[in-house]
Amino acid sequence: MDFKNFELIYKENRHEIKDKQAIESKLKEIIGENNVSTKDIDILAYTKDTTLLAFNWVIEGKIAGLPDFITWPETVDQISEILKLANKEKIPVIPFAEGSGVVGGAIPIHGGIIVDMKKFNKILDINDKNLTVTAQTGINGMNLERYLNAKGYTAGHIPQSLYISSLGGWIAHRAAGQFSTKYGKIEDIVLGMEIILPQGEIINFKTIPRASTGPQLDKLFIGAEGTLGIVTKATLKIWPYPEKRALISYAFPTIENSFEAISQILRVQIYPGVIRIYDQFETERHFPDVEQAKDKVMVIFVCEGNSKLVDLEESITREKCENNLGVECGEHPVEHWFETRFRVTETSMLPTYKIVFDTLEVASLWENAPVIYHSVLESMDKVKGNLIITAHVSHFYPNGVGIYFSFGGVPPKEKSDLEFYQECWDTTIKAVLDAGGSIAHHHGIGINRSHWMEDEWGKSMKVMRDIKNLLDPNNILNPGKIYVNTWKRGEN
Amino acid sequence: MGVFETLKKYKWMVPLIEKADRITKSTLLKNFRLKKKNFYPEGEYKADIDNLIKCMLCPNMCRFDCGILQASQSETMSPGYKARIGYYLSIGKIDPTKEENKDFIDLMYKCTNEESCKVWCPFDFSVVSLLETVRDDLNDKGLMPDYCKQQIDKLNKTNTIEDYNIYETYKEKGIDNIETDGNDEVYYYIGCEMMKFPEVVKANIEILKKAGIKFSTNLKKRVCCGGPAFNIRDFETGKKFAGKNKELIKETGAKIVVSDCPGCVLTLTDRYNKAGIDIEVKVVHIVEYINHLISNDKLKFEKEIPEEFKKITIHDPCLISRNLNDTTSIREILNKISGLKIVEPIYNKEYVHCCGWSGTVHWADKEIAIREAYNRVKELKETGANVFLTACPLCELGLGYGIEENEKDKYKILDISELLMKLI
Ligand SMILES: Cc1cc2nc3c(=O)[nH]c(=O)nc-3n(C[C@H](O)[C@H](O)[C@H](O)COP(=O)(O)OP(=O)(O)OC[C@H]3O[C@@H](n4cnc5c(N)ncnc54)[C@H](O)[C@@H]3O)c2cc1C
Repeated sequence: MDFKNFELIYKENRHEIKDKQAIESKLKEIIGENNVSTKDIDILAYTKDTTLLAFNWVIEGKIAGLPDFITWPETVDQISEILKLANKEKIPVIPFAEGSGVVGGAIPIHGGIIVDMKKFNKILDINDKNLTVTAQTGINGMNLERYLNAKGYTAGHIPQSLYISSLGGWIAHRAAGQFSTKYGKIEDIVLGMEIILPQGEIINFKTIPRASTGPQLDKLFIGAEGTLGIVTKATLKIWPYPEKRALISYAFPTIENSFEAISQILRVQIYPGVIRIYDQFETERHFPDVEQAKDKVMVIFVCEGNSKLVDLEESITREKCENNLGVECGEHPVEHWFETRFRVTETSMLPTYKIVFDTLEVASLWENAPVIYHSVLESMDKVKGNLIITAHVSHFYPNGVGIYFSFGGVPPKEKSDLEFYQECWDTTIKAVLDAGGSIAHHHGIGINRSHWMEDEWGKSMKVMRDIKNLLDPNNILNPGKIYVNTWKRGEN
Repeated sequence: MGVFETLKKYKWMVPLIEKADRITKSTLLKNFRLKKKNFYPEGEYKADIDNLIKCMLCPNMCRFDCGILQASQSETMSPGYKARIGYYLSIGKIDPTKEENKDFIDLMYKCTNEESCKVWCPFDFSVVSLLETVRDDLNDKGLMPDYCKQQIDKLNKTNTIEDYNIYETYKEKGIDNIETDGNDEVYYYIGCEMMKFPEVVKANIEILKKAGIKFSTNLKKRVCCGGPAFNIRDFETGKKFAGKNKELIKETGAKIVVSDCPGCVLTLTDRYNKAGIDIEVKVVHIVEYINHLISNDKLKFEKEIPEEFKKITIHDPCLISRNLNDTTSIREILNKISGLKIVEPIYNKEYVHCCGWSGTVHWADKEIAIREAYNRVKELKETGANVFLTACPLCELGLGYGIEENEKDKYKILDISELLMKLI
């Protein structure tokens, strides 16, 4: 097949591989004939991640990046050898798991070797005494969680992408699940890891509930997005499967009222598993039939765990909602959320009308949250071609929140879909930074946000780059992400 | 989703769209109008483009449960990618007539038809139902893969899916051939793949006799149900077999057709109906029928369960649990056996993982089918039971491939009828 038939989006600075056949033979020596492919059918399968714009590209017959080799290693030593070869030949290596990342993290923008982690899919141990599970990181999230459920546990990490993402991908992007207000984000859940550094060295962080053994080096790799190492094994906290769930919902006059109620709940150390605020637009979208929520802001709560504690959490949650003008809406809105939370249909529809859309999440302290919400909405209203800007808030801390913004529109004539998409992203992120927020809550940096990293990190960005250079002097591991401006701000 | 639901779902957008400037609104309208022109193939085609697009643009919410993806662990086998390739083949982005693109055609056949994807699909279709429509266009272009042509050749030459007419082997296998007198209560419709398991067929015959049912097997006249031809989407061949079977069933005068193969049940009912053929009598799988016999006191368990079969696990045939929507018959029967311990595998009933041997994949890529079988056997072994109870000849075949050579003595794959035979 001729890939020329497919427009390539990221085509600058492609790595030229002189003797492809020789590299292929060496890879086959390392991991066996059947675990390496340069076939068109395999190459095409690894040309995108789930950056939402990639759906528009798929239907238009475009591809985001073009890898040279696909590999499916089965052992840690094999990955180590691949990395050594890549260093010697200076070829990019891109870890790829389930491909559900939404910021371009797994796109092979310079070509190179895809290391597909899917064969690292074993659950190695469940330890009831310690309440831990140890698994290889290529395991699909749902396959891990439902195995745990069958054994009477939960890891409590339930992202909307549970069905389509892996443990390694969660660690790579510092992911957060829908029940994170209770169980924590992935960095709170991971207790130990095995990692292969860019030059092939294998290191281990032992499983321990907590330690005071110098700086927490392990945390450096949670959120490194496959640029500092490939995580091959991890031990996670698990919990007995909750014995009771309380489903609660309230509608508030304004988003500010809902923020206030929730901050009061967390202040007294009540941690519902799920808290989710829908702004007025999203309330209208998801609950058009709930009379009490008309023109209001819906909030749903799920309290779960030990039944006595759940009863207490429920009564305090209700009290705080009612003290802040919340109107009870019953269990139905929460049941609706449970039924629909994994039923994603928009991506299948909108690209057929050439609508460019996305959802991006940011973080904020409580004091800035209302300003961020309003200023993003205002700024996005000014973007020519954008039709929709809405928000929901689904990750909470005693100190602040993670807010999601969803946009959608049709690019004006003078702009390509990528240019329009970038304008929407940049407008949102600028408004967030101006209002004192942080540019990402849990989807990560990848390509889409890397040009904002200087603003986010300031001088610390140099330290980050130094660390990257130290661990990966040849810059072979997932290049073009986090540390460099693959999207140029203000131009494209 | 119906028009009404779609309108309701997107109503919230209306005020937001109304606010937009004139140019944006008119671009949007134009995009709505030109959807087909922009993205659909020209000319005549059978491919279900609407749903191929939906599937390829979905984040792949069913991927974790696709047996072929789990067996291959390659993105290439993911459901959404298959739909994407189906779409590209349909619009000519990938030219199916070019020899170099043969792999892409083959991908359209790498599916077990297990339909586990449908359980999770927000649009409620299975990927195979889309791939089949792509196969239709490939067939019309004369691009049916050789491994499919070989199956059609076998059907035409031997009337079965084997290199020889497997029904003719009944004598040497010691299977009773009961000819019809045109006045049967039941037609015991033996699947051609079940002829490979004569002990099961003999058990079924014995059970029906014990229950005092008047039935026939008519093995001398038997032909395949045509299921493989429908899978390959060679409707001409499929209909030929449907016609022969309709006649044969009529000849028996039976009020009910009882088959030991869920693939046959599905073909005689759903697939024939879709092809416009109605055989006019009820068709059920034998577990459902046996359950009915037991409930009506026509069958009784009189013997003690032998020690080696006291602990079993159930492998639900996906064709029964998901296609025929029956997960209860098998359990209702087993629950009546005293002294039997059933250890359910984690993935069971409508969530069962396939044995790998259904659909077209075992022709297109036998190695992946075997790996899927291996995965399933691993799950069954985890239950701690050494007896894997099932009710489908394809599962017997698949699970058989999944057990390692050196473990063949340790684990036993047993059809439910074989177990019941020991008790009546
Ligand atoms: C519909 C939808 C809903 C989503 N909901 C959520 C949500 O609720 N919460 C949330 O946090 N995210 C969510 N996401 C984002 C996405 O699922 C996460 O970013 C996920 O963590 C990515 O995992 P993956 O296995 O798909 O990784 P991939 O997309 O394959 O890779 C992502 C990045 O991780 C790197 N990587 C992968 N495996 C490894 C490894 N073993 N070692 C080192 N690096 C590795 C890759 O190189 C890449 O940079 C959602 C996405 C979609 C499409």
